[in-house]
Amino acid sequence: MRKLGLTLALTASVALSGCVQSRQYADVQFTPPQGDYRLLVMRPDVTVNSLTTGGMSEPRAEWTEQARGNIVQALRSEQAGRGGKVLVMARRNELPNVSAEEIADLERLHYAVGNSIALHKYSGAALPSKRGKGLDYTLGEGAVSLGRRTGYDYALFLYAQDNIASTGRTALQVLGVAGCFIGFCAPSGGSNQFAYASLVDLRTGEVVWFNVLQTGSQLPGVKFGDIRTPQGAAQMVDRLVGRMKPGRDVRQAQAKEKR
Amino acid sequence: MCMRCEISRRSLLAGGGALAASMATGIAQARTRPADMVPLIGPGFKPTDEDEKGLWQLMDRAEEEISGSNLLIKDPELVSYLQDIIGRVGGPAAKDMRIYLAHIPDFNAMMFPSGFSVIFTGLLLRMRNEAQLAGVIAHESGHFLRRHMIRSWRDTRRKSDLFAIGAMAAGMGGAAGGVYLGDYVQLAQLGTILSLFAYSRAMEAEADAMGARLIAEAGYPPMEMATVWEQLIGEEEASARYRRKRRRRGTLFDTHPSPTSRMADLRLSAAEVTVAGRAYDNGRARYLSKLAPIRQMLLEDQVKLNDPGGSQYLLNTLAQDGWNGMLRYYEGEVWRLRNRAGDDARAAQSYAVAVAYPDAPAEAWRWHGLSLIKEGRSGEGKAALGRYLQMKPGAPDAPFIRQMVG
Repeated sequence: MRKLGLTLALTASVALSGCVQSRQYADVQFTPPQGDYRLLVMRPDVTVNSLTTGGMSEPRAEWTEQARGNIVQALRSEQAGRGGKVLVMARRNELPNVSAEEIADLERLHYAVGNSIALHKYSGAALPSKRGKGLDYTLGEGAVSLGRRTGYDYALFLYAQDNIASTGRTALQVLGVAGCFIGFCAPSGGSNQFAYASLVDLRTGEVVWFNVLQTGSQLPGVKFGDIRTPQGAAQMVDRLVGRMKPGRDVRQAQAKEKR
Repeated sequence: MCMRCEISRRSLLAGGGALAASMATGIAQARTRPADMVPLIGPGFKPTDEDEKGLWQLMDRAEEEISGSNLLIKDPELVSYLQDIIGRVGGPAAKDMRIYLAHIPDFNAMMFPSGFSVIFTGLLLRMRNEAQLAGVIAHESGHFLRRHMIRSWRDTRRKSDLFAIGAMAAGMGGAAGGVYLGDYVQLAQLGTILSLFAYSRAMEAEADAMGARLIAEAGYPPMEMATVWEQLIGEEEASARYRRKRRRRGTLFDTHPSPTSRMADLRLSAAEVTVAGRAYDNGRARYLSKLAPIRQMLLEDQVKLNDPGGSQYLLNTLAQDGWNGMLRYYEGEVWRLRNRAGDDARAAQSYAVAVAYPDAPAEAWRWHGLSLIKEGRSGEGKAALGRYLQMKPGAPDAPFIRQMVG
């Protein structure tokens, strides 16, 4: 019943004001890292676009730089709260004894694995062989070897995109909504965000946790935290990685203990 | 901004498409003259506008990925050869552009907005001399020098903006007046798309004209650029004829002018930029020697494409400069891989001719030997196989062949 209520509330909020959606998957044995751990954040892939009147996304260099800095800063303080030691990579050749090619290969592999996760976990093409297994994907030996040589426990891959409605786009949205009053309702999309984060356990090579965040609204002027500002970036990082839930087995064990 | 982009645009064809298309095809485009093609950027160009800076930043990331791709051929001598050519025909940006060679057996080359170019190995196979290659590279440089990417982005943006506003106004006006204007909006959308492709075709024509001018200034015979298209048309026709289809004709949705009209325009442009009495060098000898180390790989890639018509035409085109053992061997390979009735005899004949040339690859001796044994001439066949083993003692199938020779 509670679930149904939530769905109704969600649907209503989508229709009225747009929405913030995030859905996370975890390995059944996953426990969110806590205390003394070492986290390697792979170069965050951040893009900020201006959304033109016609709806095209136009990349903006300065906004992107600004947002990347903010996201990195927000990640650092979020992780410090958990007690972990963090290195956020700015270049591929930053680690001693690890070549830039090796990092590039791992990033490409993760890109492919991440696409599989997106397809089979988020786009509805569920695989029967993965049913009930939580998140069952791995980056294999390469990731384990990286962890062994560098001493990091986890690697975090992060992608964030923010499309910011231009003045023209906002005006078009206003018109689209205003049109409703004369019988021509044409609401169009405004500022929106898309981001995902993926946590890889470097001791096993497995992708242990994955989260996708989407925000957007058809009402003009509604924003969900502009990542060009430190506050907006902190909000996105919190929505994306701040609320990690443990995996199914761990949750069930915790529930038993409580009882 | 690639030379020949193949994107499915069928999805774009809406109901009114055919009508609008038949109305617009009648309009011929005037030729762009090389003399009008002035570079729009100087040396060391860096973007200053917001939209262009964003595009470049995105391209820097793309270049990082492309330059680290394992599809690239990184042979330093070959890459510096290509870099030298772009340095010669790159106009004012000659020192700023980068060039990458991708191992893809297809006829294509492309220029990215921030001034790096990717060319496919299939292009190198098809070029008969350095002038032809320089022509293609100069065409790509033309895109960069004429700032085509940012211009076309701005054009797209402006048109999509206008369309969005127009659609909204039509909807609201229609709603207020009680008329449904949906059909007109769809037609307008098609018009927007059509004009986008037209703009792109105009830019390709500019790059062709600019390219002709650049290679002429660098001392290459400008007519070679038109020859490239002549060869491409021939190859496409041969390939299509073999598959019993017609060569794809230019349509309204082409981003590039049809090869036929490009060839015609390039001929006129070439005549315009040719200076009487000046000596032009097509650099054929240099081209052949630079390409020698990968020539066999290029031919191997081509015959494995399973396009006998195209491969056959290509071999004949390359043979206009003289047959050799390598070309004859791959002629045999085309027959052997096609494997229709009688093809084994044709292949055997080609192998037999191939081994008469001093440059016949070891594999020619291998297949010559095997063909002879099949014909029942096992003594001669074994001798040929012996020659193969002598040339390539470490071949993967050497133990097997050794056993056959006995």
